[in-house]
Amino acid sequence: MRSKAYRASNELRIQVSESESPFAIEARGISKFFGGVAALDGVDFDAAWGEVHALLGENGAGKTTLSNIFSGIYRAEAGEVLVNGELQDFRNPAQAIEGGVGMVHQHFKLVEPMTVAENIHLGWPDTPRVISQRALEERTNALMAEVGLHIDPTAKIWQLSVGEQQRVEILRVLARGARVLILDEPTAVLTAHEARELFTVIRGLVAGGRTVIFISHKLNEVLEVSDRITVLRNGVREITREAKGATAQELARLMTGEERTLEVEHRTVTGDAMLELHDVTARNDRGVVALESVDFTVHAGETFGVAGVSGNGQTELAEVISAMRSVDSGTITVGNTDITNSTVRAITDLGVGHIPEDRIGVGMVGSAPVKDNAVMRNYWTDELSTGITLSRDGVVDFAKRLVEQARVQTRSVYATAGQMSGGNQQRLVARREALIAKQVLIAVHPTRGLDVLAAQEVQTSIIGQRDAGAAVLFVSDDLDEVLLMSDRIAVMYEGKIMGIFDRADADRETIGLMMGGHSPAEVSAT
Amino acid sequence: MTTYRLERRLELDARTSALTRVAGAIIAMLVVGLILMLTGRNPFSILMDALDAIFGSQRGMEGVALRAIPILMTALAVALSLRLKIWNIGSDGQFLMGAFAALGIGIHVDGPGWLVLILMALAGSIAGALWILVPALARAYWDVNEIITTLLLNFVAAQLVTWSALGFWRDEGSAVIQSTERVPYTLAGIPGTDSLTIAILAPFLLTGLLFWLFRSTTIGFEIDMIGGNPKAASFAGVNVRRRLVSVMLFTGGIAGLGGMLQLSAPGAQQLGPGFSAQFGLSGFIVAALAGGSMFGVLGGGFFIAAMFFAGIILQTKGLSVFIIFAIYGAILTGVALGEVASRYRLVRAEAAGVVA
Amino acid sequence: MMILGIIDNAFLSLISSAIPASTVVVLAATGCLLGERVGVLNLGQEGLIGIGAVYAVIAVTSWGVESPWLAFFIGMFAAAIAGLLFAICVVVFKANQVLVGLALALGGIGLSNQLGTNRNGTPIRALFREVNPGGGLKDGGFFEAFFFHDPVVYISYIFLPLVLWFVLFRTRHGMNMRAVGENPAAADAVGVSVLWSRIGYSVLGAAISGAGGAYMVLSFTPTWSPDIARGRGWVALAVVIFAAWRPFRVVAGALLYGSMISLGVTAQARNWGLLFSARDLAFALSMLPFLVTLAAILLPAGAAQFGKRVRSTTAPAALAVPYSREDR
Repeated sequence: MRSKAYRASNELRIQVSESESPFAIEARGISKFFGGVAALDGVDFDAAWGEVHALLGENGAGKTTLSNIFSGIYRAEAGEVLVNGELQDFRNPAQAIEGGVGMVHQHFKLVEPMTVAENIHLGWPDTPRVISQRALEERTNALMAEVGLHIDPTAKIWQLSVGEQQRVEILRVLARGARVLILDEPTAVLTAHEARELFTVIRGLVAGGRTVIFISHKLNEVLEVSDRITVLRNGVREITREAKGATAQELARLMTGEERTLEVEHRTVTGDAMLELHDVTARNDRGVVALESVDFTVHAGETFGVAGVSGNGQTELAEVISAMRSVDSGTITVGNTDITNSTVRAITDLGVGHIPEDRIGVGMVGSAPVKDNAVMRNYWTDELSTGITLSRDGVVDFAKRLVEQARVQTRSVYATAGQMSGGNQQRLVARREALIAKQVLIAVHPTRGLDVLAAQEVQTSIIGQRDAGAAVLFVSDDLDEVLLMSDRIAVMYEGKIMGIFDRADADRETIGLMMGGHSPAEVSAT
Repeated sequence: MTTYRLERRLELDARTSALTRVAGAIIAMLVVGLILMLTGRNPFSILMDALDAIFGSQRGMEGVALRAIPILMTALAVALSLRLKIWNIGSDGQFLMGAFAALGIGIHVDGPGWLVLILMALAGSIAGALWILVPALARAYWDVNEIITTLLLNFVAAQLVTWSALGFWRDEGSAVIQSTERVPYTLAGIPGTDSLTIAILAPFLLTGLLFWLFRSTTIGFEIDMIGGNPKAASFAGVNVRRRLVSVMLFTGGIAGLGGMLQLSAPGAQQLGPGFSAQFGLSGFIVAALAGGSMFGVLGGGFFIAAMFFAGIILQTKGLSVFIIFAIYGAILTGVALGEVASRYRLVRAEAAGVVA
Repeated sequence: MMILGIIDNAFLSLISSAIPASTVVVLAATGCLLGERVGVLNLGQEGLIGIGAVYAVIAVTSWGVESPWLAFFIGMFAAAIAGLLFAICVVVFKANQVLVGLALALGGIGLSNQLGTNRNGTPIRALFREVNPGGGLKDGGFFEAFFFHDPVVYISYIFLPLVLWFVLFRTRHGMNMRAVGENPAAADAVGVSVLWSRIGYSVLGAAISGAGGAYMVLSFTPTWSPDIARGRGWVALAVVIFAAWRPFRVVAGALLYGSMISLGVTAQARNWGLLFSARDLAFALSMLPFLVTLAAILLPAGAAQFGKRVRSTTAPAALAVPYSREDR
């Protein structure tokens, strides 16, 4: 049975060499406004057939906006889009797909209770009018064989891993004949291993004549997988160049407009033991063991970094220390006080601060004003409350001081916190937690999603806490950042501490191996 | 030439929202008035008659106040739970169970009037709280949608009340077939009025209490945090599940107390199948329309009560009470649309290509 | 038209009177289901039943319609118009579905009662006739209880659910519609029009709910009376939940609810002498369907806490949430 997709992919090879234009997709003078602000201002762009072209930029630079215009979600207010040399005006995603342009979003658009086969065939004119589960599954299998991606067609989406769900999204777009594939921050939700697999898939697609536009703000990945790179900043195109020969520093400078690197003075540890974990074991929400016999000590005036791929227990580690999760066994102490299975109030009163991984989902109430968010973690203290009452004026004063100290850019402390940019939100959260963290500060992926300027401010603030004598636990999946910030480094894999090093002794390759699961014994044997 | 276009607002402004909602209600009433004119009735005279009926006599104002009490009690209960982002459609059922429990005490317990009434109030509040207990626990601990669970219990409460009226507590000697025995105790009246009892104080006191709660207490702050983002509330040290349940129980108690108060008005004193017919849902509606403001609930509750009162009075002038329902529906729609309007604003559109 | 007096067996008699009476609930629940499957919650069932009923009455008494089918469709059409207004408010303007649904319920009750007041008690002459499959089956027992109803019953209990099941689960169109109810953003991304799906199914669902009201006045209560729906619209909402949004279970649930609730009335009318008060039993039973539904909702949730994932009884995930493409 020759499916249509099979024929289409064969036709593609022929089509490409006969195509009128060497460019798969072009943008000329594109502008787009939101609420009076220009998200894109006269942007030109082109991607050739058979090319992996990266769109690089900070949050708000316009990369997603441009892609949404290409894929029919938005319409530009000015400028033109050409696909294969022909002028196109896509009014909705379906038209874009018909025109050969498909986008895989950061947040998947899959129907969770339905199967892979059903999701692939959703809204597709090629789907037969009368269907059965079996028929859909057979068709899906045929499609997967042609494209080279494999997932169980009978699986329901909620049963799949994130990497597998992403593959369903890609398959869906390809099955409908997309020749230009736009991937929006595809590795943001993947583990390092899954990201590798994705890059292999991308190269396979491009070898078949398709074009991939890869949106990212991760410089290393972009350098690894792209042929050409375009940098956007504040809605304007800064440069388009070959990936070969480009350096991360140069790209970073173009993305941010300035050359700024952070210098951190690393110390050898001499302070008292402040945060101690002894043999801590804990489970995650699904009941699976997430931390296994974790044992380490962080001293006052030290930054203790935890490296490792996301999902190896780091989240749970932060949670057990900050009283958001209970442990099965083991003890956690701060100074001389046992805080195992304590309460949030008790540990904040003790001086333990926590910059959470998910600042919008956990660290703030987005719909509440800035002032309420500012006092979220100390509103019960004597300064602001008598236990029952809450001093409204006290709250406003505290918030104003906080906003000023942290240089949060906001109209007023009454403005809705959710409307602030990610950077300003994190400035607020970081400062708030720093004020609490007299003894211990836990920071988990604190610079995720922030532009370079805001990231550096947050990092500076954290180092400042260290210098003031706090014990800092710094968790990040960005090894460069961990190496930058930490005085000592631990590597986590599947809930276990694989090894602990002083910064001076830390070696990328060894750490990388441990992050991948190799034990210290194995590593030293190599 | 400047043209205007509609643009999505970035931030939701409470003041604009209140204005557009009221505007929506007014426009809806104007539309209804227009329809009335087209069908040959005179809306202005109807309006005048209504206003006269309400404000023209003490009896009128008392009538409105009497009707406002049950509406406000249920409305305040729902308004409180809405701050937690809990949609308690079951306030009607809690109200009924409060009346039911109060009735049970009232017809079986003897003693000095004031004591029995206090027991009835306690019984009513506790019954209302118990009626929301299962939905509250299910929501807090198992994340079960409360709209469905509380709605179902409404039906059960209604059947239970009808059962009591036709069955185990039926008033054998009464000519009216469907009602329970009478409770021999009523609330103290307010001197100078014909029909008002001390019950009228309850909604006002409660509104004041709730207003203060949200303005100046840590508990109110925590409730708003839970409503805004439960995970953040947890991060802030609030025991979200316990707080959800305790606040919901409190709202059930308020509604139950409302049922007891309604039962204990002179002239009522008994239960029948239609006990909460007129205002069963109104409490929910008033709360949903008030957008979180406790004083908005107070105002809205009196407005709806006035509307119902006028509808009943105007029956004598030939106006069907059902028109009130239709007007009610129109106003609701107007407010709902007004709420949508508050999400947009008019913006001057520049000529293409020029950016200010 | 009532078979009540002919069938001796009390149980069968109950069933045979419950079937047409519950048809109202079946139709209203089916209509409600259609909307909910695409993510639109319409709480206004009570009003739709009233509108369907009153316009069927008007058609027969004021417009001289003689065919029950024509009156039936007129009632459906009127309800469809109401459904369209509802859909415009909540789908196009994205107003709060709970509020507008309640507005429809109240407004519909008010409007229908207003229009019906002058026709209170007027007998309806155009009625549905029972289907008569042949003399041999008229046995005063089992067959008579099930086979001698009017055609609308068979349409509502068998034909309609069958068609709906087929369309929803065996066609491409149905799959797309289910997607709209679960994740409208996903459906939109693949070119399914969320707007038109929701409007279309809301209107269709409203028409079917209105059909319930129209049917009622054209068969077993052949006259107008105030508050014609008598709470059955609200019950329909509960039935949809009980039926876990599946067409055939709606039929079963509606029959269950319908019989339980009318059990009280039947028990009194027939003066059942049982060991303990039949009336009390009837009332206890009338509460049962709601409690069973409650349990049916709580059990999977409780089971999920202990590790078992049960997903088939959950509501369409996007139920009652307005969708807007630029909201991301």
